[in-house]
Amino acid sequence: MRILIMAVALLLFGGAGSTVTAQLCGLEKGNKAPEIRLPSIKGDTVSLYSLKGKLVLIDFWGTWCAPCVEEQSELARLYQQYKPAHFVNEKGFEIYGVALEAKKPNWENFISKNKISWIQVSDLKFWRSPVAKTYNIQGLPFNVLIDGKGVILAKNLHGTDLEKAIGKNLSK
Amino acid sequence: MKTKILTFLLFAFTTSLLLTNPLYSQGQSDPWTQQQLLAPADLAKALNNPKSPQPIVFSIGMQAIIKGSVDIGPTLRPDNLNTLKQKLNKLPKNSQIVVYCGCCPFSRCPNIRPAMELLKSMQFTNYKLLNLPQNVKVDWIDKGYPMSE
Repeated sequence: MRILIMAVALLLFGGAGSTVTAQLCGLEKGNKAPEIRLPSIKGDTVSLYSLKGKLVLIDFWGTWCAPCVEEQSELARLYQQYKPAHFVNEKGFEIYGVALEAKKPNWENFISKNKISWIQVSDLKFWRSPVAKTYNIQGLPFNVLIDGKGVILAKNLHGTDLEKAIGKNLSK
Repeated sequence: MKTKILTFLLFAFTTSLLLTNPLYSQGQSDPWTQQQLLAPADLAKALNNPKSPQPIVFSIGMQAIIKGSVDIGPTLRPDNLNTLKQKLNKLPKNSQIVVYCGCCPFSRCPNIRPAMELLKSMQFTNYKLLNLPQNVKVDWIDKGYPMSE
């Protein structure tokens, strides 16, 4: 009988333990952000999860979206400022730009013209991109800030709110 | 003094009425009427029933996502607007025409106004703007309406 109780307890607590370690994948703050694997301009697949260890801003945008385009210069400034910064838990800062683009030349020209140096990916499926569904995107611009473990810290922050959220993770 | 206050109150009341009324807040200068907005559900119903009269649907935005729609490209660009004009020139003025973009909310979309203005200036009598107030994802794709291959 005692063995049986112990076995049940082990099963229960063992199970609970594993759910705690495997972070729930979702879109709320505290959830693990879903993986994204999309091609870069060169065509090689870049995985979001490959950026593990870094503080990452996932920026969903499009060259056809006026407020997104406007925000790119601000992102360039943040990238320059925080890429070499020291964080408490993360080793550096990265931006993972997901373009909901329809045609490659529009995207490619914008990137080279504006000298965007952070990661850029797109499946060129515009609003039909499966990522728009996975991340339940209702409109652009939209972004998600994730920590080194891929856990969502904040969603859809812009301007000073975004910079504050990044700054919070800096080592003092 | 009393009349001044009364005039001010009347002014404030009318302004607030105008601002809160969706008919006005959508923009008085938009080149379409409420009657010219086509509900996505109605277009989906027509597309799903080949026996019903089929409108000619033009995609005037980034991508022809809707089933059977003709890809014109963003009519913000004069060359694309000209392509649309060429296509329209071949159609009778009473053709059932629907245009859509769906990139962004109506207030921010750069493509719908030039296209609707063109249709108006060419004196078409039966043209509509597909009512995608947020975007084509939320108001079409997410609803499971028919898409192109």
